[in-house]
Amino acid sequence: MRSDRSPLALKLAAFGGLLFLHLPILLIFLYAFTTEERSYQFPPPGLTTKWFAVAWFDRPDIWPPLYLSLKVAAISTVMALILGTFCAAAMSRARFFGRDQITLLVLLPIALPGVITGMSLRSAFGVMDIPFSTWTIVLGHATFCIVIVYNNAVARFRRLSGGILEASADLGANSFQTFRHVLLPNLGSALLAGGMLAFALSFDEVIVTTFTAGQQSTLPIWMLNELVRPRQRPVTNVVAIVVFAATFLPILAAYYLTRGGSETAGMGK
Amino acid sequence: MTSAVEFRSVSRHFGPVRAVDGVDLTIAEGSFFAMLGPSGSGKTTCLRLISGFEQPSAGAIRIFGEDVSRVPPHLRNVNTVFQDYALFPHLNVRDNVAYGLMVKGVGRGPRHAQAEEMLALVKLDGYGDRKPAQLSGGQRQRVALARALVNRPRVLLLDEPLGALDLKLREAMQDELKALQHRLGLTFVFVTHDQHEALSMADHLAVFNEGKIAQIGTPQDIYDRPATRFVADFVGSSNVLPPALTRALGGPEAWASLRPEAVRLAAAGPVTGPVTALRYLGVGTRVAVRLGETEVAALIPAGQPLPAEGEIVALAFDPSALHVMEGAR
Amino acid sequence: MSGAVLPARGPGDRLTGLFWRRPWLLLLLLIAPPLLWLGVVYMGSLAALLLQSFYSIDEFSGIVVPEFTLKTYAELFRAQNLDIILRTVTMAAAVTLACAALAFPIAYFAARYAKGPWKAAFYLGVMLPLWSSYLVKVYAWKLILAKEGILGWAAERTHTGFVIDGLLSIPGLQGSSLSTSPIGTFLVFVYIWLPYMILPMQAALERVPQSMLEASADLGATSRQTFRSVILPLALPGVVAGSIFTFSLTLGDYIIPQIIGNSANFIGMAVYQLQGTAGNIPLAAAFAVVPIGIMLVYLWLAKRAGAFDAL
Repeated sequence: MRSDRSPLALKLAAFGGLLFLHLPILLIFLYAFTTEERSYQFPPPGLTTKWFAVAWFDRPDIWPPLYLSLKVAAISTVMALILGTFCAAAMSRARFFGRDQITLLVLLPIALPGVITGMSLRSAFGVMDIPFSTWTIVLGHATFCIVIVYNNAVARFRRLSGGILEASADLGANSFQTFRHVLLPNLGSALLAGGMLAFALSFDEVIVTTFTAGQQSTLPIWMLNELVRPRQRPVTNVVAIVVFAATFLPILAAYYLTRGGSETAGMGK
Repeated sequence: MTSAVEFRSVSRHFGPVRAVDGVDLTIAEGSFFAMLGPSGSGKTTCLRLISGFEQPSAGAIRIFGEDVSRVPPHLRNVNTVFQDYALFPHLNVRDNVAYGLMVKGVGRGPRHAQAEEMLALVKLDGYGDRKPAQLSGGQRQRVALARALVNRPRVLLLDEPLGALDLKLREAMQDELKALQHRLGLTFVFVTHDQHEALSMADHLAVFNEGKIAQIGTPQDIYDRPATRFVADFVGSSNVLPPALTRALGGPEAWASLRPEAVRLAAAGPVTGPVTALRYLGVGTRVAVRLGETEVAALIPAGQPLPAEGEIVALAFDPSALHVMEGAR
Repeated sequence: MSGAVLPARGPGDRLTGLFWRRPWLLLLLLIAPPLLWLGVVYMGSLAALLLQSFYSIDEFSGIVVPEFTLKTYAELFRAQNLDIILRTVTMAAAVTLACAALAFPIAYFAARYAKGPWKAAFYLGVMLPLWSSYLVKVYAWKLILAKEGILGWAAERTHTGFVIDGLLSIPGLQGSSLSTSPIGTFLVFVYIWLPYMILPMQAALERVPQSMLEASADLGATSRQTFRSVILPLALPGVVAGSIFTFSLTLGDYIIPQIIGNSANFIGMAVYQLQGTAGNIPLAAAFAVVPIGIMLVYLWLAKRAGAFDAL
């Protein structure tokens, strides 16, 4: 009596749910072209492309946050790549006391709400009298990016047959040669995927950042200010498109890099 | 003759588990040596002790007279054919084979030439550009072999090298391996749980049981004169006779083994019993006769008259075929 | 023929030898940096948070008094603060329920009926919104819910504006538009956290073997009975796992209620305002400990329901 055809109602509900997830984002694109800059009037009274030019030429306040976001995301990603890969490598090598605790420790920064991570870092900076800087932002971002890289790397380590590392040593390669010629080529795409996801996560992060940035603005903080006190609304949409692309493209690329395994990227977030 | 590998009371413990327990072993240069035993008997650990992936908890290991206790795997001039072959999935066949030369700093041209030469040796010429995933199990096995041999190791280790192949391929590879070893004059050490494979390929073998060597010798030694009941049982079709039966059959009161080929059926004799089963084997028929608590098998060559099941028969044999086991357990 | 032992060629070989003789050394070198980072930076910060929550603030000078006291925690029990906690927990519970209801058809369809390219499409269809910019998604809803926005326009065109007006006149849910009403806050929370519910649910449903469904049918169960007595109980761990995300994320969020809603206070907002403009770091820290406490209880309950097998 089991059929491979789904009930119509279920199909409708499932596709309706997916539409619900995707349609709102399209509006961001539409409103970037509206001629109305003081309200969110629908349908837009007219369409124009001038806001892209305005954002590029007339809004110097966009550039410093963009640079800062890129800088923070780049540094955090590199740190997360190193720390996450180290951790995954160690965890794949041996079963040892405290493994589960370490897994929990890696997961915690992303499992607990951002406001707790943010407030904790804020408290620590307060207790230790550390002034806010780019590095205080990086400290927070790298912390929650580690788990993204870790998840990708650990899945690949699991799939990698341990035999090939032994085979490499057996054939005369020392640890560094094994890393360079066997481990890195096999781990590469997983690390690239993890790195891109970490970059996307950092570039977009706002909650932890508001606690660790002090007076500085990253692009998401700039956007948040625009949302609370809008000036030229369509310009915000133009920036939103940029931010969207900066998170959308890496996840798409990461998906294609790790496709075909049980390890497909992204489950970690 | 130099010994290629030498174990001096070597032990390897994993926590409370004694995987290898006080093993003494000498493998002669140029021999085809098999380590035979059930899983968990310590044979694979012994192989890994030679390659260096395990370190002895006690004892010393020498390879061609050199103590390797402090030598990591990559500096041992010993190569392994792994059970699952462990080919590098990201490299093509040629680069897989040339890997050992590459990490030793051999230039691209010469190492590729040598790799092709080795591929020809294992009859895989023309396969250099393929990826391991595009090969069959048997082909992968040959690549693994070529990859190990290209380094001109002093000892080649093979870990259940034929385990993943189907029966027909396995038999073909057995002959090929044997021929290859003969041609290269290399010392081969291979691990297997398959007694037929061990007996037919090796010129010497060690039978492992619970981390210890139960017996070491030529296939003939092991087959004809098993040292213990375990060896007699594991190596195969020998009859194991308890002390009372040995005595009744005219031997001393001790455990003994008796090959079925040496047993004949007779009209009368000191011990008689009913035929419990007949199994046709092609070259002959295996007749099982119940003698008290023990079942004794006789191999009757084809063409000779066979008893019926249930018929009471007596056994006769050449007394020299009766092998009394020492230290029988 | 070369010897049985090759000479070491340089520091790389010697170091490899050292790692081989002392396997724990390499392990230690690998695990130490991430462990130090997470241990010092993260656990250290959590400890600082906990520490500060036991400090208090001098009411006249506004300076933090670094002495142990439970006074700050006692302040949480003031009516206005209890209100905030209650409002946040209610919202988190409502959001979790709505997410579970919306996620189920998608997860069920993806796990059971979607095959081949459709399966990949469904996966991406959930994954992309999950990873897309959080702020952009919130912003999109500001556009949708604004009085002059697409929902208002659609209601006007279909003459269903009275539905929205009716909703907005319910006591407790009032607002001048959906974007300034708690309904808006709720909708956006559901939208943003929905993928976090779909993925674990789908994972749990995918583990229901087809043979089990067939066995149930063989035993004479109707599809409705199979669904209720086999699929639902087996999907429950996934629902619980997903609810951990939706519940925890709603508890801690402060951007959404700040941008959409009637600016009623939530825990996250309280933390942000207290540490920022108010400068009352001890109370902010104490507030931040509240979600941790709630989540610990929640996790303990979830663990008893066997939800962690589905993570």
